[in-house]
Amino acid sequence: MTTHYLVLSALLFAIGAVGVLIRRNAIVVFMCVELMLNACNLAFVTFARQHGNLDGQLIAFFVMVVAAAEVVVGLAIIVMIFRTRRSASVDDANLLKY
Amino acid sequence: MDLYAPILVLAVLAAGFAIFSVTIAPFTGPKRWNRAKLDAYECGIEPTPQPVGGGRFPLKYMITAMLFIVFDIEIIFLYPWAVAFDRLGVFGLVEMVLFIVTVLVAYAYVWRRKGLDWD
Amino acid sequence: MNGTIQAPTIEYALLSPMLIVFGAAIIGVLIEAFAPRYLRKSIHMPLTLLALLGAFATTILGAANGLPTSASAMGAVAVDGPALFVWGIILILAFVSVLLINDDEQFVAQAAAVPGSSDEEEAVRSGYAQTEVYPLLLFAVGGMLLFSSANDLLAMFVGLEVMSLPLYLLCGLARRRRLLSQEASVKYFLLGAFSSAFFLYGMALVYGYTGTVSLRGIGDALGAGSGQETLLLIGTAMLGVGLLFKIGAAPFQAWKPDVYQGAPTAVTALMASTVLVAAFGAVLRVFWVALGGLEWNWQPVMWGIAILTMVVGAILAITQTDIKRMLAYSSVAHAGFLLTGVIATGAAAQNAKALSAILFYLAAYGFTTVGAFAVVTMVRDAGGEAGHLSRWAGLGKRSPFLAGVFAFFLLAFAGIPLTSGFFGKYAVFAAAVSGGAVPLVVVGVVSSAIAAFFYVRVIVLMFFNDPAADGPSIAVPTVGTSAVVALAAAATVVLGVFPQPVLDLADQAASALFIR
Repeated sequence: MTTHYLVLSALLFAIGAVGVLIRRNAIVVFMCVELMLNACNLAFVTFARQHGNLDGQLIAFFVMVVAAAEVVVGLAIIVMIFRTRRSASVDDANLLKY
Repeated sequence: MDLYAPILVLAVLAAGFAIFSVTIAPFTGPKRWNRAKLDAYECGIEPTPQPVGGGRFPLKYMITAMLFIVFDIEIIFLYPWAVAFDRLGVFGLVEMVLFIVTVLVAYAYVWRRKGLDWD
Repeated sequence: MNGTIQAPTIEYALLSPMLIVFGAAIIGVLIEAFAPRYLRKSIHMPLTLLALLGAFATTILGAANGLPTSASAMGAVAVDGPALFVWGIILILAFVSVLLINDDEQFVAQAAAVPGSSDEEEAVRSGYAQTEVYPLLLFAVGGMLLFSSANDLLAMFVGLEVMSLPLYLLCGLARRRRLLSQEASVKYFLLGAFSSAFFLYGMALVYGYTGTVSLRGIGDALGAGSGQETLLLIGTAMLGVGLLFKIGAAPFQAWKPDVYQGAPTAVTALMASTVLVAAFGAVLRVFWVALGGLEWNWQPVMWGIAILTMVVGAILAITQTDIKRMLAYSSVAHAGFLLTGVIATGAAAQNAKALSAILFYLAAYGFTTVGAFAVVTMVRDAGGEAGHLSRWAGLGKRSPFLAGVFAFFLLAFAGIPLTSGFFGKYAVFAAAVSGGAVPLVVVGVVSSAIAAFFYVRVIVLMFFNDPAADGPSIAVPTVGTSAVVALAAAATVVLGVFPQPVLDLADQAASALFIR
């Protein structure tokens, strides 16, 4: 049954989303986003199985590559701000407000 | 069984190569003993009980990791082509060459900007 | 094994604008790799401008050769009337922004140097420049072209990311106030990645319901209707979250003021104009082509979002004390006005009317925005640009011409007759009225009035207040910057006084609606 996989993917997505909202370290926030992307991948592959077509598996490839590109850009940005502030906490990023 | 024959051949070849390399190395390679060679292998660096500078790894590792990830994952696009490259014909080949050229452009950039130098 | 796989057909001529931009971006990376440092900028600049011009020329050619009746590249990209119009706007605006980006004072000497460190002083002294800006910009523009014309959700997602990733980096490259700039970059990145994850999960759920990601296939499957409606509705909502984030519609507008303020102003000009254009192209495609059959479900929610966006944008703009933040909230409000056009669907004629109104609005708003931010780059004091509104007091007495042009742009934002903003708003609201969204138009007009109050307040501040003793100086503009201001002002006047040719063009582009 594919339902179990879908439930798992929804759970992973929810864990990631909650993590983004409550965690304070930019790296951890970012890892939670990656978890969400992987939850999407699981959903795509499951639906591909359910529909019996390959589209979902193909999309999973693209998502992985996009996620990798995002990791590199994201880490570069986070490393940049870490080197400046010696901290990766999103609470310290508070210069921009009204 | 026919299906698995190529895998078996490949496994035998791989094992043969490994055994050959390990046995031939002591006879052909230069012998320079030092303390580092006797240490546990840790990606070529000196093993330390703790990362230098109080528990944090130097940023250099991060940059290496980033470069590794991006070039590593790109290769995933070769996988579907490798599975059906004979059926994809010339078009598939040209597309893959174009794809690899664009990856090489990025590689050239990293190389020229000294992203591959450790120090 | 059995038989060869048919090679896909790709309409290279139709897709050439995209191919030119991406090709030039890759050449740009090669220049970064191999050209000596002192030559880089003088190669990048003409290359970037030529690529954008070439792409624009091929866009025009594509439009002149008659519109195709089916999607290109095996249904992945739809080069139809609206797509060509949107491409044209994006390419012109990007061209104008490049002239602005050519200003050395905007970008950091070496992004890798820690702010305030000796490395940074060294980099500044040596006259380094982070010339990666140009290829990054081209990649972003290429992504926008794909994002706005994608005919399946996968191509759209890839376009979205190709557009966003370079922009995240560009935001962090300001020369002055680098901490602010880096912070803007982190915020934009984390929120952007979060929202694209939503887009992706929405895409997965819609795929789960319909078994396809092509917009046309989704549209057809909605007609057939099968079970699991919940899947589809949640998927639609999540797709909407991802797209509305890029537009900056409330309640997803939080990033906009921070990012607009922190990013180098030249990049802000690019983002504020082109990203909005590209994102509306994508929103229209998803909600009209793919989810058109689901109108009764998404329209009420979109009503709420449009109202909230207009009101939040107009009211929060009043409380701002920084000129770039104020323009950011003004952009939020404008996104709300544009959303009223998205909602105003109906029969084919009504759709064409709304579409053409949105296209005209995007063109008018884009030019005015680039011009306004170009003026912001010129008002400087010791610490870089003088962002705080109090520093703008009395600007009209020191340099009446510049203040006059800025006042004109603000009036265009407010939608005063004889400016381009007036016809844009009029067209969108007229389409909304004939689409039966009268309450929305009432809210729109009221929030326009609230926003006008704020624009006028800035004008009063510039012309009727005494300048501060140590007020900002007006930088002698580079040729590029003055050209941008002149172009934007000219476009705002022409579209405000003599809009008919562009209105006709938009009508023509919209007449056949989207191909599927």
